[in-house]
Amino acid sequence: MKRLLRPALLLFTSRFTPPVVVGIFLLAYIGIAFFTEDALIALMELTRHSAVLVGLLALLPLNALGRVATELRAVLARRRALSGSGEPCAELFDERVELSGSCDFDDLKQRFAGLGYRTRQAEGSLGAWRGISGSPARLILLAGSFCLFLGILISLTARNSSRGALIEGEPLPAPSGNGGVVERIRLAEAPGLILSKSLEMRVAPLGRSAGATYGIYPPGRHQGAYVYPRYLGIAAYLQFSAPDLPQGYQTHTVLNIYPPGKDAALEVPNSPYRFVVSMPEPADGSDPYATGRMGIQFKLFKGKDALFSGSVPAGGELVRDGYRVAFPDLRRMVITDFIEDYGVQFIWAAGGLYCLALLAWLPALCLRRREVLFVRREPGLILACSRSEGQGMAHGGIFNEALDLMESRNP
Amino acid sequence: MLLKLLPHFLSWAGIVLVLLRAFPARRPVCAALGSAGFAAGVAAVCFLLRAFPGDLAFGIFRGMMGGSLLLLWFVSVVAVYRSTTRDFAAPRGGGVTDGPAFAGACSIAAGVLAGAVCACRVSGGGPGSLPFLLLVPAAAALAFALLPLEARLPGSLTLSRTALVAPVVALLLFSSSSLLRLDLFAPLSMKVMKFAHDFVHQFMESMLFPDHFFIRSYLWGYIGLLFGEGVGFWGALVIWFTPVALVLLALQLERLPSVAHIRQGARRRKLLATALGERRRRLVIPLLSLAVFGGAAYQSRYPSVEYWDPKPLAVAATPAGEIVIPKKGDVDLQDGRLHKYLYKQGAKEARFFVLMGPSGHFTVDLDACAICKPDGYGQAEGTVICYYCKTLIPLETVGRAGGCNPVPINFTEKEDGIHLDALALINEWGNTVQTTTKVKEGGK
Repeated sequence: MKRLLRPALLLFTSRFTPPVVVGIFLLAYIGIAFFTEDALIALMELTRHSAVLVGLLALLPLNALGRVATELRAVLARRRALSGSGEPCAELFDERVELSGSCDFDDLKQRFAGLGYRTRQAEGSLGAWRGISGSPARLILLAGSFCLFLGILISLTARNSSRGALIEGEPLPAPSGNGGVVERIRLAEAPGLILSKSLEMRVAPLGRSAGATYGIYPPGRHQGAYVYPRYLGIAAYLQFSAPDLPQGYQTHTVLNIYPPGKDAALEVPNSPYRFVVSMPEPADGSDPYATGRMGIQFKLFKGKDALFSGSVPAGGELVRDGYRVAFPDLRRMVITDFIEDYGVQFIWAAGGLYCLALLAWLPALCLRRREVLFVRREPGLILACSRSEGQGMAHGGIFNEALDLMESRNP
Repeated sequence: MLLKLLPHFLSWAGIVLVLLRAFPARRPVCAALGSAGFAAGVAAVCFLLRAFPGDLAFGIFRGMMGGSLLLLWFVSVVAVYRSTTRDFAAPRGGGVTDGPAFAGACSIAAGVLAGAVCACRVSGGGPGSLPFLLLVPAAAALAFALLPLEARLPGSLTLSRTALVAPVVALLLFSSSSLLRLDLFAPLSMKVMKFAHDFVHQFMESMLFPDHFFIRSYLWGYIGLLFGEGVGFWGALVIWFTPVALVLLALQLERLPSVAHIRQGARRRKLLATALGERRRRLVIPLLSLAVFGGAAYQSRYPSVEYWDPKPLAVAATPAGEIVIPKKGDVDLQDGRLHKYLYKQGAKEARFFVLMGPSGHFTVDLDACAICKPDGYGQAEGTVICYYCKTLIPLETVGRAGGCNPVPINFTEKEDGIHLDALALINEWGNTVQTTTKVKEGGK
């Protein structure tokens, strides 16, 4: 059992695991890029459907977690050693040397205190340190990496997405089918620094569930799924008749024609007729979607021939040469994705933790941690240990001079 | 021809010097095996060009150049870990790097690639031509001539095993960057640009960020920078230089010898000063490699190749909406060169070219691709190049849709010339340019 546990433990705590895993994914990306232009999307698909790649990716959060535990253990062990209550293991310090002779720790304490070190003397040991440790920043960074890779893993393997048209006056097209009626869609200019527009989608209460209002960002949630508005458009009711189509044609349709000027095609089935429609831009420069003064501008084609073009306001009609085009009803519509993805929060948390780690690392970078420890092992033998984060040449000099001093007093 | 080969032989000389300095105990072996590798590289190119005419030989050796850059990345990352990890567990057989087999393998591998690049350079004369035959003796003579020269270089100029790969790869990439079809930096820029675009798009979708329509235009302008050519160039530079920077960092972070057991201050200081001095000297060759990498990137960015890029000739459509381009006339369409035309219809216009490929068949394509801004194409050395992203497209594949290939247009070849539909041309140009301009200017 131990034989199996040891490599697993090494895999979960080694600093080498992340670059090896990332390297394997990089090589996979390069390999895929030889065959397709959309290598990233292909790699994501491949990972989603490959248990081996998912397992490999799962190593990253597990390794981050394992390294959090290792780092915490080292921090606590070092604290115990400096306070004189723990064994100063070799892996906790950069230098470790045993000196014969005796030593007065009071002298050393004064010496290090004079050099700006904080000291702690216990029975048989003296610890001295200065600066700020980078360990908290490393711990936060590792926690951030855990969240990031866990978020990516969850997002890749468990994301569910469905798209629907959210139309005023119609039920919310939620994947569960349980959604109240969309009472109102409101688009307005936004004063913020980031978003130029605000979108409000008000859904009426249904049964025992309360109503809800969804916006652009951060996206609201409906029954656990994010409501992610993608594009704006118009839901239209079209009535059309032609001399050779006397029975007429009528349909409810969604038109992706926002902002004004954007075209959409509309085929009349089982006939040679085809519309190319767009939303006319009001002369006053206002936004028809925001004001609600919407209309439809269209070109009517019969086969390859353009018959005529015109413009119809909501509720209006155009009659010409035996043709009738009417749009009795135009409503605001938002093409919306309903996304179930529990990885998003982890990725956001990772971003926050990385920022926090940077803030914690900056003071540690300016005031590097230096530590020394002297322990009386047995009569006539002293163990001296030193550690510095960063290069620490000056600290090394101070440590060695302290050792020189100790030896000079023990001829 | 000699002038063309000069940068390649300079690179070869540099590689030989580095190998001789890295393996001082096996200098003649390195020179001999390096030359043998060089001969093998030349022979391989000769064989591949004869057996598979076209772009395969270039593709294989460009792939190997890419592999060498990946190897440098691997070595540099391991070096950083080795320098920053206490009790770094060397892989089993770590002592192999001191053995003769390692020195020989390094010499042969470097020789094969250097020889292949030189052979690709003279491939214009055809495999088996005189320059081909002279390459190997010239390279071997140079390698053995450098033996006494290397012995006179300062002994303090040392090279660690970690740093060995950096100058060799730098010199190989410098050598290959002067050949359009072996150059790695330009395709790397394009791949990075594509990756950045896909990554930003996927990230925004995954994090449920709103589309550009909802975001302030100034902010979208900044996000749009991530979709531009600049990202490809700067990203490629980062990938290009980082491994050598990591090697330098690894050398700088190497632990100094422990002096805590020495009780004489003067002895301690001397030991540390010696270690610091040696460390500084070991930085010299990687620093020079950094400069060579810079030279390779510069050569790729500003190649000394003159592209055939004719001014587009204006053409008109017949009343039936057909554009007819005669095969012979002011322009000879069968000369294997790219011929550009400009068609205007009211305020709309479309730029396209006609080319007779190596197979003897015509192709008509937009002077634009489906990915990049429509900066157009130039022709050189058996390829056409996209001016926007510097991607090389072998002449054999022009006319096939996809990637950075020019967008093909339907046409008919008749006795009197090439016939194509003017409306289809205008529509195809409109669709392509509209899409690529939107993408490059920051559309999702």
